[in-house]
Amino acid sequence: MFRILKKSLKTGVVTGRHPRATQPSEPLTPEVLKKAAAFNRSLTIREVDTGSCNACEMEMNALTNPVYDVERFGIHIAASPRHADALVVTGPVTVNMERALKDVHKQTPDPKLVIALGDCAINCGAFKGSYAVTGPVDRHIPVDVRIPGCPPRPADILKALTDIQKRPLPA
Amino acid sequence: MAETRSCDAELTAAFPSIVQRDTTQREFSHFLVSKDLLPAITRYLHTRQGLHGRLTLLWAVDNRPARNTYGLHYLFTLEPSHRWVLLSTELAGDDRLFPSITPHIHAAQWYEREIRDMFGLIPQGHPDLRRLVRHEHWPKGTHPLKKDFPWDHILGRQHGEHRFRRIEGEGVFEVPVGPIHAGIIEPGHFRFSVAGEPIMQLELHHFWTHRGVEKLFEQQPLAAAVPLAERISGDTTIGHSLAYCQAVESLLHLEIPRRGRYLRSLFLELERLHNHLGDVGAICNDTAYALPHAHCSRMKEQMMQLNDRLTGSRFLRSVNRVGGVALDLTAAQLVEIVAELDRIEQDFSELESIIAHNASLIDRLETTGVLTERTAWDHAVVGVVGRASGLDQDLRRDRPFAAYDELPVKVVNYRYGDVRARMRVRMDEIHESMRLIREIRLKVPQGPVAVESSRKAQAGEWALSAVEGWRGEILYMVMAGENGTIQRCKVRDPSFVNWPAIQWAVIGNIIPDFPLINKSFNLSYAGNDL
Ligand code: SF4
Repeated sequence: MFRILKKSLKTGVVTGRHPRATQPSEPLTPEVLKKAAAFNRSLTIREVDTGSCNACEMEMNALTNPVYDVERFGIHIAASPRHADALVVTGPVTVNMERALKDVHKQTPDPKLVIALGDCAINCGAFKGSYAVTGPVDRHIPVDVRIPGCPPRPADILKALTDIQKRPLPA
Repeated sequence: MAETRSCDAELTAAFPSIVQRDTTQREFSHFLVSKDLLPAITRYLHTRQGLHGRLTLLWAVDNRPARNTYGLHYLFTLEPSHRWVLLSTELAGDDRLFPSITPHIHAAQWYEREIRDMFGLIPQGHPDLRRLVRHEHWPKGTHPLKKDFPWDHILGRQHGEHRFRRIEGEGVFEVPVGPIHAGIIEPGHFRFSVAGEPIMQLELHHFWTHRGVEKLFEQQPLAAAVPLAERISGDTTIGHSLAYCQAVESLLHLEIPRRGRYLRSLFLELERLHNHLGDVGAICNDTAYALPHAHCSRMKEQMMQLNDRLTGSRFLRSVNRVGGVALDLTAAQLVEIVAELDRIEQDFSELESIIAHNASLIDRLETTGVLTERTAWDHAVVGVVGRASGLDQDLRRDRPFAAYDELPVKVVNYRYGDVRARMRVRMDEIHESMRLIREIRLKVPQGPVAVESSRKAQAGEWALSAVEGWRGEILYMVMAGENGTIQRCKVRDPSFVNWPAIQWAVIGNIIPDFPLINKSFNLSYAGNDL
């Protein structure tokens, strides 16, 4: 017990100790912001890998570490699409994952956002044209937000996600 | 060398009809074998006392259009001497059948099914001829690695369902899991059969993330395919790119400058560090002990930020290139690395003592998910998982590459094969990697970090390369095509051999322990599925 307390005291607060986001995120359309307003600044995410190289997953996972601590912004990772407001999709959509992606999309309750994370999800990246790839994601399901990068840094992902939480400007 | 010659002599004496190829240029012995002899000779290599051959790689090549044949190649590592022995055979003309060696070399099971899927060659006598890579909805007769299959072919869809092995009886339930899992992890399907709590059988159904990587390689020039290799399994960026570069470099007869080799070792150890740190925490987290996970993921993050500062990439992307490394580190940067590691080592040691003093955690880890040495050997398991089950193997020591011939590695070895052993291998390797990096800083020579190549690889020439990545042995076979293209690139991530073994490690455990066991293996889906 003493050891644990000592360790925690010695470590201190590490949240926020990371380089700033550098990549300009794409401006969000008013429709997206309107849809997102329904979530009232919280965002529950279901992550779906449709054939990524797992670096994008690792960066999503990094968001939950104490340095980025995404939960402090009301962003949660859900275990089921039924609990999700948003799907984060990584990877170029392989032939084998196409059905599963469509299923997950169907199972996510409306209103829902689809966020394509990484170059693969946006344009198939290095795997474009392959016989085993049917993507990109927006060929199969409508995509609302795109976060480019291979992989995007966690700070960039965090920035893009918190942008979604902003209130739409009054008309 | 004398030992090698005696192995070779023993083999030719036992099988007089095989032909030894001249391999003075290469670091292994190579034999041409007729296909009917394959089962006997592979069995001899595998079981013979003193040879103790472990199936290391099995790959096929479609030699058309140059020659109307398919080549099959079986690479064995002789355990006592760590020498490689390669057996090759050819299927001429319309011959599509080859004898399966799976009945007595279990480790060949997935390789042979993969060859059937990708080339349409049929392993006769294989006990399980279900599809592996191609899911059942792929149309009949689609074999992507055949040369007459266009790389951008658009696949149709047929009706079909995967048949799982069934256990039937009173009280037996099947529990399907996946392909999409609850956490942020890659897709794969697990089918459990349980009676009550204990798992009676687990069957894997993978290859959901199959992206056609080996075919994509064939569309790329030899010198420009490094980015693709980096994207096979993102967490093993350096491991894969290094293995690929080494294979191409031996095709081009490139001698890498010493400083370049040292930096490669440095980056490989950095990659090992951030992954192992993450894994130790994640194993604790899967027992619902979140504290070490928080600390470990913080340290992992520190490592990745360090990577970013050094190279501009958190995953060390674009660091390796054919001929060496793409960037040099200054003396100040080397000092920065060592200073950061000193801090993290201190930090991690404190955490280790917290972990070691938590009796309930250790209780949960001990005797969970035991992979016995025998099962590990039968599956030719590699890397961390193998070293936790008593297999004393590490390419950094056994077949040194990069700068490891000048950097002796202390290989970690545990015998029990449970989750705790796999965690301890990682913990010890973290310290060993840090020690190696300090040694690299002291020893790294001055000079260039890369060389340019002037030679062109001849069509049909090929080379093998092996790297001990953080998960285990990564193997590449690269064969040059016309005008600097790639004729064939076989990629083998350690996950491909370790996945089947997990099916045996879980038997008798309860399903709630499966995530823990799976985490302690921590295998790549993307690297496995290609
Ligand atoms: S975008 Fe890049 S990092 Fe992300 S899955 Fe694709 S290849 Fe991997």
